[in-house]
Amino acid sequence: MRLFRSILVLAGLCTLSVAAIAEAPAIGAAAPDFQLTTIDGKSFSLSTEAKSHKAVVVMFISTQCPYSNAYNDRMRDMASAYASKGVLLVGINSNKTEDASTALSHAKAHGHSFPIMKDTGNKVADLYDAQHTPTVYVIDSQGKVRYEGRIDENYEDPAGVTSPDLKNALDALLAGKPVARTVTKAFGCSIKRV
Amino acid sequence: MIALLFVFGVRPTSAAAPSRLAGELDAAGFREVVAREKGHVVLVNFWATWCVPCREEFPSLSRLQERNRAAGLRVVGVSTDFEKQRKAVERFLAERRPPFPNYHRKKGGDDQDFIEAVDSSWGGELPFSVLYDRSGRKVRVFSGKLPIASAEREIRKLLASP
Repeated sequence: MRLFRSILVLAGLCTLSVAAIAEAPAIGAAAPDFQLTTIDGKSFSLSTEAKSHKAVVVMFISTQCPYSNAYNDRMRDMASAYASKGVLLVGINSNKTEDASTALSHAKAHGHSFPIMKDTGNKVADLYDAQHTPTVYVIDSQGKVRYEGRIDENYEDPAGVTSPDLKNALDALLAGKPVARTVTKAFGCSIKRV
Repeated sequence: MIALLFVFGVRPTSAAAPSRLAGELDAAGFREVVAREKGHVVLVNFWATWCVPCREEFPSLSRLQERNRAAGLRVVGVSTDFEKQRKAVERFLAERRPPFPNYHRKKGGDDQDFIEAVDSSWGGELPFSVLYDRSGRKVRVFSGKLPIASAEREIRKLLASP
């Protein structure tokens, strides 16, 4: 069991291959590609997954940040609800203070069955200029960024949400309509960088 | 005055002693609290009980307030803890007894409205502090722990200005 866990941790601490892009992606621009290994040991390529899905939602998340954790159930439910519609949600943990083993335990505890990756050295966070958890980016099947920002406007009370911005963006994208609100301000904990 | 505070979303408690919450703030309430302190130099500090650096810097904020109160500094604390953490916030204040009022961010409302009321550069990271001069003009924001020595030098310059 210990060996298995070590393998998983090592898999999480995977090598990263990214294009050398230094600035944040603009809406409509190509999303910076990246390849990582998920915390349960599978290969992940953004460009490959974008081509085989109608959209990929890249979510910068944390195991410790209360704002990010406030969205645990919403992330789980959205991943499940949109999977059948061809949308893949993925989690990126870029915090230097959180390791792959912790991320794996956290994912199991909260029913997160979507791919989660440890972004060692916060290289993917740098590519996206992601500053806070949670912050989400919607990538379409052409690999272009269609929405970035928050999941919704009410981290504290899911029942009180009046502006489900991520859902609105995905629904518009799936309906072949323009996303009405392409950028919102993410509110959360700072990503703890190296 | 109390009616006015309700209008602006500030809900003062009956005993707004520093060891207790002074009320709840939404975006309008926050602006009202800052406006009320016009004539003073104001340092607003956003914190949460779960935020380790916030807890660490709390004593230095208390000392900063004590050293500069007579000259006209007013420190204001705003907890961004979730509503379910309110008891923890109250315990924290009862233990620390800061010599400045502390508010609790009101549950609900649009995060973006509150961000804009505080500073458009703020993304929720803590601690976060905002410094205003005597006219109520925002002078500087501090993301992360306050660099207390340099911040106090700047505060004293502002205090020396009419």
